[in-house]
Amino acid sequence: MSFDRPKELLKPVRRRFIYLSFAVAVLFNLLPMPTDAVLWLPDFIAMLILYWVINQPRRVSIGTAFTLGIIADVACTGMFGQHALAYSITAYLALLRQRQLVMFNLGQQTLAVLALMFANQIIMVFARMATGSAFIGWSYFLPPLTGAILWPLLTKLLLLPYRQHKV
Amino acid sequence: MDFANNPSFIRQGPSPGTRLAICVALSVALLVGDSQYGLMEYTRQGMSVLFYPLQRAINFPLVAARHADDFLTTQATLQAQNEILRRQQMVSAAKLQQLETQQREFEALRTLNQLKSVRQDASALAEILYSSRDPFSYKIIIDKGTDSHLEPGQPVVDDHGLIGQITRVQPLTAEVTLITDKTLMVPVMIQRTGLRAILYGYGGGVELRYLPSHADVKPGDLLITSGIDGLYPEGVPVAMVTRVERNPDTTFIRVTSFPTAGVDKGRFVLILNEKTHVPARPADPVVVVPKKSKPSQDDSTE
Repeated sequence: MSFDRPKELLKPVRRRFIYLSFAVAVLFNLLPMPTDAVLWLPDFIAMLILYWVINQPRRVSIGTAFTLGIIADVACTGMFGQHALAYSITAYLALLRQRQLVMFNLGQQTLAVLALMFANQIIMVFARMATGSAFIGWSYFLPPLTGAILWPLLTKLLLLPYRQHKV
Repeated sequence: MDFANNPSFIRQGPSPGTRLAICVALSVALLVGDSQYGLMEYTRQGMSVLFYPLQRAINFPLVAARHADDFLTTQATLQAQNEILRRQQMVSAAKLQQLETQQREFEALRTLNQLKSVRQDASALAEILYSSRDPFSYKIIIDKGTDSHLEPGQPVVDDHGLIGQITRVQPLTAEVTLITDKTLMVPVMIQRTGLRAILYGYGGGVELRYLPSHADVKPGDLLITSGIDGLYPEGVPVAMVTRVERNPDTTFIRVTSFPTAGVDKGRFVLILNEKTHVPARPADPVVVVPKKSKPSQDDSTE
Protein backbone atom coordinates (compact mmCIF):
# COMPACT_ATOMS: atom_id res chain seq x y z
CA MET A 1 0.00 0.00 0.00
CA SER A 2 1.02 3.57 -0.39
CA PHE A 3 3.01 5.47 2.17
CA ASP A 4 0.64 8.24 2.99
CA ARG A 5 1.89 11.51 4.26
CA PRO A 6 0.01 11.56 7.54
CA LYS A 7 1.95 9.60 10.08
CA GLU A 8 -1.04 7.60 11.10
CA LEU A 9 -2.59 4.39 10.02
CA LEU A 10 -5.41 4.76 7.53
CA LYS A 11 -8.21 2.40 6.76
CA PRO A 12 -7.99 0.80 3.30
CA VAL A 13 -9.70 2.88 0.61
CA ARG A 14 -12.91 1.42 -0.74
CA ARG A 15 -13.42 1.19 -4.47
CA ARG A 16 -16.90 2.60 -3.95
CA PHE A 17 -15.42 5.77 -2.49
CA ILE A 18 -13.17 6.30 -5.50
CA TYR A 19 -16.10 5.94 -7.90
CA LEU A 20 -18.24 8.22 -5.78
CA SER A 21 -15.59 10.94 -5.79
CA PHE A 22 -15.33 10.75 -9.58
CA ALA A 23 -19.11 10.88 -9.95
CA VAL A 24 -19.25 14.02 -7.80
CA ALA A 25 -16.52 15.62 -9.91
CA VAL A 26 -18.37 14.85 -13.17
CA LEU A 27 -21.63 16.22 -11.74
CA PHE A 28 -19.79 19.33 -10.67
CA ASN A 29 -18.59 19.76 -14.24
CA LEU A 30 -22.18 19.62 -15.45
CA LEU A 31 -23.28 22.42 -13.12
CA PRO A 32 -24.37 25.52 -14.98
CA MET A 33 -21.76 28.12 -14.14
CA PRO A 34 -21.50 31.76 -15.07
CA THR A 35 -18.91 32.28 -17.77
CA ASP A 36 -16.57 34.14 -15.42
CA ALA A 37 -16.48 31.22 -13.02
CA VAL A 38 -15.52 28.79 -15.77
CA LEU A 39 -12.42 30.91 -16.35
CA TRP A 40 -10.88 30.18 -12.99
CA LEU A 41 -12.63 27.07 -11.67
CA PRO A 42 -10.16 24.20 -11.62
CA ASP A 43 -10.75 20.97 -13.47
CA PHE A 44 -11.91 18.77 -10.61
CA ILE A 45 -11.87 15.58 -12.66
CA ALA A 46 -8.18 16.09 -13.47
CA MET A 47 -7.40 16.86 -9.85
CA LEU A 48 -9.15 13.71 -8.64
CA ILE A 49 -7.41 11.59 -11.26
CA LEU A 50 -4.07 12.97 -10.07
CA TYR A 51 -5.01 12.37 -6.44
CA TRP A 52 -5.98 8.75 -6.98
CA VAL A 53 -3.10 8.03 -9.35
CA ILE A 54 -0.68 9.32 -6.74
CA ASN A 55 -2.32 7.59 -3.80
CA GLN A 56 -3.84 4.46 -5.33
CA PRO A 57 -1.80 3.80 -8.47
CA ARG A 58 -2.83 0.18 -8.68
CA ARG A 59 -6.53 0.97 -8.83
CA VAL A 60 -6.63 4.20 -10.79
CA SER A 61 -4.24 4.49 -13.65
CA ILE A 62 -4.12 5.39 -17.32
CA GLY A 63 -7.18 3.37 -18.36
CA THR A 64 -9.38 5.05 -15.78
CA ALA A 65 -8.02 8.45 -16.75
CA PHE A 66 -8.87 7.75 -20.38
CA THR A 67 -12.43 6.64 -19.56
CA LEU A 68 -13.02 9.73 -17.44
CA GLY A 69 -11.57 11.83 -20.22
CA ILE A 70 -14.21 10.48 -22.62
CA ILE A 71 -16.92 11.30 -20.06
CA ALA A 72 -15.52 14.81 -19.66
CA ASP A 73 -15.49 15.22 -23.44
CA VAL A 74 -19.17 14.37 -23.63
CA ALA A 75 -20.01 16.57 -20.65
CA CYS A 76 -18.37 19.70 -22.02
CA THR A 77 -19.64 19.20 -25.59
CA GLY A 78 -16.16 19.84 -26.88
CA MET A 79 -14.27 17.59 -29.19
CA PHE A 80 -14.06 13.86 -28.61
CA GLY A 81 -10.66 12.72 -27.42
CA GLN A 82 -9.36 16.06 -26.19
CA HIS A 83 -9.73 15.42 -22.47
CA ALA A 84 -9.08 11.71 -22.93
CA LEU A 85 -5.69 12.43 -24.48
CA ALA A 86 -4.71 15.01 -21.88
CA TYR A 87 -5.84 12.93 -18.89
CA SER A 88 -4.09 9.75 -20.06
CA ILE A 89 -0.79 11.53 -20.66
CA THR A 90 -1.00 13.40 -17.35
CA ALA A 91 -1.84 10.19 -15.51
CA TYR A 92 1.18 8.55 -17.13
CA LEU A 93 3.47 11.42 -16.12
CA ALA A 94 2.20 11.20 -12.55
CA LEU A 95 2.62 7.44 -12.58
CA LEU A 96 6.25 7.74 -13.71
CA ARG A 97 7.14 9.59 -10.53
CA GLN A 98 4.41 8.18 -8.31
CA ARG A 99 6.79 6.67 -5.72
CA GLN A 100 8.43 10.05 -5.30
CA LEU A 101 5.26 12.08 -5.35
CA VAL A 102 3.61 10.05 -2.64
CA MET A 103 6.55 10.70 -0.29
CA PHE A 104 6.44 14.45 -0.80
CA ASN A 105 4.85 16.65 1.80
CA LEU A 106 1.82 18.68 0.82
CA GLY A 107 3.79 21.76 -0.25
CA GLN A 108 6.08 19.85 -2.56
CA GLN A 109 3.17 17.83 -3.86
CA THR A 110 1.27 21.03 -4.64
CA LEU A 111 4.11 22.23 -6.84
CA ALA A 112 4.28 18.88 -8.64
CA VAL A 113 0.52 18.91 -9.16
CA LEU A 114 0.72 22.44 -10.50
CA ALA A 115 3.24 21.30 -13.09
CA LEU A 116 1.13 18.28 -14.01
CA MET A 117 -2.02 20.36 -14.41
CA PHE A 118 -0.14 22.82 -16.58
CA ALA A 119 0.95 19.90 -18.72
CA ASN A 120 -2.69 18.83 -18.87
CA GLN A 121 -3.82 22.27 -20.11
CA ILE A 122 -0.96 22.49 -22.60
CA ILE A 123 -1.89 19.13 -24.12
CA MET A 124 -5.50 20.24 -24.46
CA VAL A 125 -4.51 23.52 -26.09
CA PHE A 126 -2.28 21.66 -28.54
CA ALA A 127 -4.98 19.12 -29.32
CA ARG A 128 -7.47 21.89 -30.07
CA MET A 129 -5.03 24.02 -32.02
CA ALA A 130 -4.05 21.00 -34.10
CA THR A 131 -7.71 20.53 -34.99
CA GLY A 132 -8.19 24.14 -35.99
CA SER A 133 -9.24 26.22 -32.99
CA ALA A 134 -7.59 29.53 -32.29
CA PHE A 135 -5.39 30.06 -29.25
CA ILE A 136 -7.73 31.22 -26.53
CA GLY A 137 -5.46 33.34 -24.44
CA TRP A 138 -3.40 32.91 -21.32
CA SER A 139 -6.40 32.90 -19.04
CA TYR A 140 -6.76 29.25 -19.98
CA PHE A 141 -3.80 28.54 -17.70
CA LEU A 142 -5.45 30.06 -14.65
CA PRO A 143 -7.41 26.95 -13.53
CA PRO A 144 -4.24 24.94 -12.73
CA LEU A 145 -3.21 27.71 -10.32
CA THR A 146 -6.49 27.64 -8.42
CA GLY A 147 -6.38 23.87 -8.60
CA ALA A 148 -2.94 23.81 -6.99
CA ILE A 149 -4.12 26.16 -4.25
CA LEU A 150 -7.00 23.81 -3.55
CA TRP A 151 -4.83 20.68 -3.62
CA PRO A 152 -3.98 20.51 0.12
CA LEU A 153 -7.65 21.03 0.93
CA LEU A 154 -8.70 18.28 -1.46
CA THR A 155 -6.14 15.91 0.05
CA LYS A 156 -7.34 16.59 3.59
CA LEU A 157 -10.95 16.22 2.50
CA LEU A 158 -10.46 12.90 0.77
CA LEU A 159 -8.53 11.53 3.75
CA LEU A 160 -11.31 12.41 6.19
CA PRO A 161 -13.37 9.22 5.87
CA TYR A 162 -10.26 7.12 6.40
CA ARG A 163 -8.73 8.54 9.51
CA GLN A 164 -11.50 8.06 12.06
CA HIS A 165 -10.43 5.14 14.18
CA LYS A 166 -12.57 3.39 16.64
CA VAL A 167 -9.87 2.19 19.00
CA MET B 1 8.00 -14.23 -16.09
CA ASP B 2 4.33 -14.55 -15.28
CA PHE B 3 4.14 -17.39 -12.79
CA ALA B 4 0.91 -18.53 -11.25
CA ASN B 5 2.23 -18.05 -7.75
CA ASN B 6 3.39 -14.48 -8.31
CA PRO B 7 1.95 -12.17 -5.70
CA SER B 8 -0.84 -9.98 -7.02
CA PHE B 9 1.17 -6.78 -6.91
CA ILE B 10 3.61 -8.16 -9.45
CA ARG B 11 0.93 -9.07 -11.97
CA GLN B 12 -0.20 -5.68 -13.10
CA GLY B 13 -1.16 -6.26 -16.71
CA PRO B 14 0.49 -4.29 -19.50
CA SER B 15 3.17 -1.78 -18.57
CA PRO B 16 2.20 1.89 -18.15
CA GLY B 17 3.98 2.70 -21.40
CA THR B 18 1.88 0.22 -23.35
CA ARG B 19 -1.32 1.46 -21.74
CA LEU B 20 -0.39 5.03 -22.54
CA ALA B 21 0.34 4.11 -26.14
CA ILE B 22 -3.07 2.43 -26.50
CA CYS B 23 -4.93 5.33 -24.87
CA VAL B 24 -3.10 7.98 -26.86
CA ALA B 25 -3.73 6.11 -30.10
CA LEU B 26 -7.42 5.83 -29.25
CA SER B 27 -7.77 9.49 -28.32
CA VAL B 28 -5.93 10.70 -31.39
CA ALA B 29 -8.17 8.48 -33.51
CA LEU B 30 -11.21 10.02 -31.81
CA LEU B 31 -9.89 13.55 -32.28
CA VAL B 32 -9.19 13.05 -35.95
CA GLY B 33 -12.42 11.18 -36.53
CA ASP B 34 -14.44 13.87 -34.81
CA SER B 35 -12.77 16.96 -36.20
CA GLN B 36 -12.06 15.84 -39.74
CA TYR B 37 -14.80 13.38 -40.59
CA GLY B 38 -17.55 14.11 -38.05
CA LEU B 39 -17.83 10.44 -37.22
CA MET B 40 -18.92 10.98 -33.66
CA GLU B 41 -22.19 12.83 -34.37
CA TYR B 42 -24.42 9.87 -33.60
CA THR B 43 -22.50 8.97 -30.47
CA ARG B 44 -22.78 12.56 -29.33
CA GLN B 45 -26.52 12.57 -29.95
CA GLY B 46 -27.01 9.36 -28.03
CA MET B 47 -24.88 10.62 -25.18
CA SER B 48 -26.74 13.91 -25.08
CA VAL B 49 -30.05 12.08 -24.65
CA LEU B 50 -28.50 10.08 -21.82
CA PHE B 51 -27.10 13.21 -20.24
CA TYR B 52 -30.28 15.26 -20.60
CA PRO B 53 -32.07 14.02 -17.44
CA LEU B 54 -28.85 14.41 -15.51
CA GLN B 55 -28.41 17.95 -16.76
CA ARG B 56 -32.01 18.76 -15.93
CA ALA B 57 -31.52 17.31 -12.45
CA ILE B 58 -28.38 19.34 -11.91
CA ASN B 59 -30.09 22.44 -13.23
CA PHE B 60 -33.09 21.86 -11.01
CA PRO B 61 -31.92 23.76 -7.91
CA LEU B 62 -31.05 26.76 -10.08
CA VAL B 63 -34.37 26.68 -11.90
CA ALA B 64 -36.20 26.26 -8.60
CA ALA B 65 -34.36 29.24 -7.14
CA ARG B 66 -35.26 31.28 -10.20
CA HIS B 67 -38.92 30.32 -9.89
CA ALA B 68 -38.89 31.14 -6.21
CA ASP B 69 -37.35 34.48 -7.05
CA ASP B 70 -40.03 35.10 -9.68
CA PHE B 71 -42.72 34.16 -7.18
CA LEU B 72 -41.43 36.41 -4.45
CA THR B 73 -41.21 39.53 -6.60
CA THR B 74 -42.68 42.39 -4.65
CA GLN B 75 -45.80 44.23 -5.63
CA ALA B 76 -43.86 47.43 -6.16
CA THR B 77 -41.42 45.83 -8.58
CA LEU B 78 -44.27 44.27 -10.49
CA GLN B 79 -46.11 47.55 -10.73
CA ALA B 80 -43.04 49.40 -11.86
CA GLN B 81 -42.27 46.79 -14.50
CA ASN B 82 -45.87 46.81 -15.59
CA GLU B 83 -45.76 50.53 -16.03
CA ILE B 84 -42.61 50.34 -18.13
CA LEU B 85 -44.00 47.53 -20.23
CA ARG B 86 -47.26 49.38 -20.83
CA ARG B 87 -45.36 52.42 -22.01
CA GLN B 88 -43.18 50.31 -24.29
CA GLN B 89 -46.27 48.56 -25.58
CA MET B 90 -47.86 51.92 -26.49
CA VAL B 91 -44.77 53.07 -28.29
CA SER B 92 -44.33 49.83 -30.19
CA ALA B 93 -48.01 49.66 -31.06
CA ALA B 94 -47.77 53.06 -32.67
CA LYS B 95 -44.63 52.03 -34.51
CA LEU B 96 -46.23 48.78 -35.55
CA GLN B 97 -49.15 50.55 -37.17
CA GLN B 98 -46.75 52.65 -39.18
CA LEU B 99 -44.77 49.59 -40.05
CA GLU B 100 -47.83 47.70 -41.20
CA THR B 101 -48.82 50.43 -43.62
CA GLN B 102 -45.30 50.63 -44.91
CA GLN B 103 -45.05 46.90 -45.23
CA ARG B 104 -48.27 46.77 -47.22
CA GLU B 105 -46.91 49.43 -49.55
CA PHE B 106 -43.65 47.57 -49.78
CA GLU B 107 -45.39 44.29 -50.62
CA ALA B 108 -47.45 46.04 -53.25
CA LEU B 109 -44.33 47.54 -54.76
CA ARG B 110 -42.60 44.20 -54.71
CA THR B 111 -45.49 42.49 -56.45
CA LEU B 112 -45.60 45.31 -58.96
CA ASN B 113 -41.94 44.76 -59.65
CA GLN B 114 -42.43 41.00 -59.67
CA LEU B 115 -40.08 40.37 -56.81
CA LYS B 116 -40.59 37.51 -54.44
CA SER B 117 -42.16 38.54 -51.18
CA VAL B 118 -40.14 38.24 -48.06
CA ARG B 119 -41.64 37.18 -44.82
CA GLN B 120 -40.27 35.50 -41.77
CA ASP B 121 -42.10 34.18 -38.80
CA ALA B 122 -40.61 33.38 -35.52
CA SER B 123 -40.39 29.68 -35.18
CA ALA B 124 -39.96 29.07 -31.48
CA LEU B 125 -39.06 30.68 -28.21
CA ALA B 126 -36.46 28.74 -26.28
CA GLU B 127 -34.79 29.02 -22.94
CA ILE B 128 -31.03 28.86 -22.61
CA LEU B 129 -30.15 25.76 -20.61
CA TYR B 130 -26.48 26.46 -20.13
CA SER B 131 -23.51 27.69 -22.03
CA SER B 132 -21.02 25.16 -23.23
CA ARG B 133 -18.20 24.45 -20.83
CA ASP B 134 -15.78 24.10 -23.66
CA PRO B 135 -13.82 27.37 -23.54
CA PHE B 136 -12.60 26.92 -27.10
CA SER B 137 -16.01 27.30 -28.66
CA TYR B 138 -18.71 29.87 -28.06
CA LYS B 139 -21.91 27.91 -27.92
CA ILE B 140 -25.07 27.74 -25.90
CA ILE B 141 -27.48 24.89 -25.41
CA ILE B 142 -31.21 25.62 -25.61
CA ASP B 143 -34.10 23.53 -24.38
CA LYS B 144 -35.76 22.83 -27.73
CA GLY B 145 -34.65 20.35 -30.32
CA THR B 146 -36.06 17.96 -32.87
CA ASP B 147 -39.24 17.94 -30.78
CA SER B 148 -39.94 21.53 -31.89
CA HIS B 149 -38.88 20.90 -35.50
CA LEU B 150 -35.72 22.92 -35.24
CA GLU B 151 -33.16 22.47 -37.95
CA PRO B 152 -29.49 23.24 -38.21
CA GLY B 153 -28.99 26.60 -39.89
CA GLN B 154 -31.85 28.53 -38.33
CA PRO B 155 -30.91 32.00 -37.09
CA VAL B 156 -31.31 32.74 -33.40
CA VAL B 157 -32.02 36.26 -32.08
CA ASP B 158 -32.82 37.95 -28.82
CA ASP B 159 -34.53 41.28 -28.25
CA HIS B 160 -31.44 43.28 -29.24
CA GLY B 161 -30.22 41.44 -32.28
CA LEU B 162 -28.64 38.38 -33.75
CA ILE B 163 -27.12 35.84 -31.37
CA GLY B 164 -26.07 33.08 -33.69
CA GLN B 165 -27.17 30.07 -35.60
CA ILE B 166 -28.33 26.58 -34.69
CA THR B 167 -25.59 24.14 -35.55
CA ARG B 168 -26.60 20.87 -33.97
CA VAL B 169 -30.03 19.59 -33.17
CA GLN B 170 -30.47 16.83 -30.68
CA PRO B 171 -33.77 15.20 -29.73
CA LEU B 172 -34.49 17.50 -26.80
CA THR B 173 -31.84 20.18 -27.00
CA ALA B 174 -30.11 22.19 -29.66
CA GLU B 175 -26.72 23.81 -29.84
CA VAL B 176 -26.46 27.42 -30.94
CA THR B 177 -23.12 28.64 -32.21
CA LEU B 178 -22.76 32.27 -31.21
CA ILE B 179 -21.62 34.93 -33.66
CA THR B 180 -18.47 35.31 -31.55
CA ASP B 181 -17.38 31.77 -32.40
CA LYS B 182 -14.47 31.42 -34.76
CA THR B 183 -16.39 29.30 -37.23
CA LEU B 184 -19.29 31.69 -37.72
CA MET B 185 -19.47 34.43 -40.33
CA VAL B 186 -22.39 36.75 -40.92
CA PRO B 187 -22.93 38.77 -44.07
CA VAL B 188 -23.72 42.26 -42.81
CA MET B 189 -24.40 45.72 -44.12
CA ILE B 190 -23.56 49.04 -42.54
CA GLN B 191 -26.94 50.55 -41.82
CA ARG B 192 -25.87 54.14 -42.52
CA THR B 193 -24.23 53.57 -45.88
CA GLY B 194 -25.46 50.20 -47.07
CA LEU B 195 -21.91 49.00 -47.52
CA ARG B 196 -21.80 45.23 -47.45
CA ALA B 197 -19.18 43.27 -45.59
CA ILE B 198 -18.70 40.04 -43.76
CA LEU B 199 -18.54 39.91 -39.99
CA TYR B 200 -16.18 37.30 -38.61
CA GLY B 201 -16.27 35.89 -35.13
CA TYR B 202 -12.81 35.42 -33.72
CA GLY B 203 -13.53 33.68 -30.45
CA GLY B 204 -14.92 36.10 -27.91
CA GLY B 205 -15.73 38.96 -30.24
CA VAL B 206 -16.59 39.99 -33.77
CA GLU B 207 -14.74 42.01 -36.36
CA LEU B 208 -15.19 43.25 -39.88
CA ARG B 209 -12.49 42.07 -42.20
CA TYR B 210 -11.39 42.90 -45.70
CA LEU B 211 -12.79 46.40 -45.89
CA PRO B 212 -10.60 48.63 -48.08
CA SER B 213 -8.92 51.52 -46.31
CA HIS B 214 -11.12 54.11 -48.02
CA ALA B 215 -14.35 52.43 -46.81
CA ASP B 216 -16.81 54.72 -45.10
CA VAL B 217 -17.01 53.33 -41.58
CA LYS B 218 -17.30 55.31 -38.37
CA PRO B 219 -17.44 54.33 -34.74
CA GLY B 220 -21.08 54.02 -33.76
CA ASP B 221 -22.20 52.54 -37.06
CA LEU B 222 -24.73 49.77 -36.70
CA LEU B 223 -24.14 46.58 -38.61
CA ILE B 224 -27.28 44.76 -39.70
CA THR B 225 -27.70 41.53 -41.59
CA SER B 226 -27.75 42.12 -45.30
CA GLY B 227 -29.93 39.14 -46.09
CA ILE B 228 -28.09 38.25 -49.27
CA ASP B 229 -27.01 34.90 -47.89
CA GLY B 230 -30.44 33.32 -48.07
CA LEU B 231 -30.24 32.47 -44.42
CA TYR B 232 -30.55 35.43 -42.12
CA PRO B 233 -33.49 37.77 -42.61
CA GLU B 234 -32.53 41.34 -43.57
CA GLY B 235 -32.23 44.11 -41.04
CA VAL B 236 -31.46 42.24 -37.87
CA PRO B 237 -28.95 44.26 -35.84
CA VAL B 238 -25.73 42.34 -35.32
CA ALA B 239 -22.97 44.55 -34.01
CA MET B 240 -21.94 48.10 -33.29
CA VAL B 241 -18.65 49.47 -34.58
CA THR B 242 -16.54 50.70 -31.68
CA ARG B 243 -13.23 51.61 -33.25
CA VAL B 244 -11.82 52.08 -36.72
CA GLU B 245 -8.07 51.98 -37.27
CA ARG B 246 -6.77 53.18 -40.59
CA ASN B 247 -3.20 52.18 -41.13
CA PRO B 248 -1.76 53.36 -44.43
CA ASP B 249 0.66 50.42 -44.47
CA THR B 250 -2.04 47.82 -44.71
CA THR B 251 -4.58 47.22 -47.43
CA PHE B 252 -7.52 46.79 -45.10
CA ILE B 253 -8.82 48.78 -42.17
CA ARG B 254 -9.14 47.30 -38.74
CA VAL B 255 -12.68 47.56 -37.46
CA THR B 256 -13.45 46.55 -33.91
CA SER B 257 -17.06 45.96 -33.00
CA PHE B 258 -19.16 44.37 -30.33
CA PRO B 259 -22.37 42.37 -30.67
CA THR B 260 -25.56 44.28 -29.93
CA ALA B 261 -27.37 41.20 -28.68
CA GLY B 262 -26.71 39.78 -25.25
CA VAL B 263 -24.52 37.05 -26.62
CA ASP B 264 -23.41 35.88 -23.20
CA LYS B 265 -26.34 36.95 -21.10
CA GLY B 266 -30.10 36.69 -21.16
CA ARG B 267 -32.39 33.78 -20.60
CA PHE B 268 -34.65 33.48 -23.64
CA VAL B 269 -33.90 33.40 -27.32
CA LEU B 270 -36.10 33.43 -30.37
CA ILE B 271 -35.46 31.04 -33.23
CA LEU B 272 -36.39 32.37 -36.65
CA ASN B 273 -37.23 30.42 -39.74
CA GLU B 274 -34.72 30.34 -42.50
CA LYS B 275 -35.49 32.65 -45.38
CA THR B 276 -38.04 31.22 -47.72
CA HIS B 277 -38.35 32.04 -51.41
CA VAL B 278 -34.68 31.69 -51.99
CA PRO B 279 -34.04 31.24 -55.68
CA ALA B 280 -32.73 27.83 -56.63
CA ARG B 281 -29.04 27.37 -56.35
CA PRO B 282 -27.40 27.96 -59.71
CA ALA B 283 -25.43 25.16 -61.28
CA ASP B 284 -21.87 25.02 -60.05
CA PRO B 285 -19.64 27.12 -62.29
CA VAL B 286 -16.47 25.68 -63.70
CA VAL B 287 -14.30 28.05 -61.69
CA VAL B 288 -14.34 27.24 -58.01
CA VAL B 289 -15.72 30.22 -56.09
CA PRO B 290 -14.93 30.39 -52.40
CA LYS B 291 -18.17 29.88 -50.50
CA LYS B 292 -18.78 32.51 -47.88
CA SER B 293 -22.42 32.88 -47.09
CA LYS B 294 -23.21 29.79 -45.09
CA PRO B 295 -20.81 28.71 -42.41
CA SER B 296 -20.15 25.04 -41.95
CA GLN B 297 -22.59 23.10 -39.88
CA ASP B 298 -20.17 21.46 -37.52
CA ASP B 299 -17.50 23.04 -35.42
CA SER B 300 -14.70 21.69 -37.51
CA THR B 301 -12.23 23.91 -39.22
CA GLU B 302 -13.14 25.99 -42.17
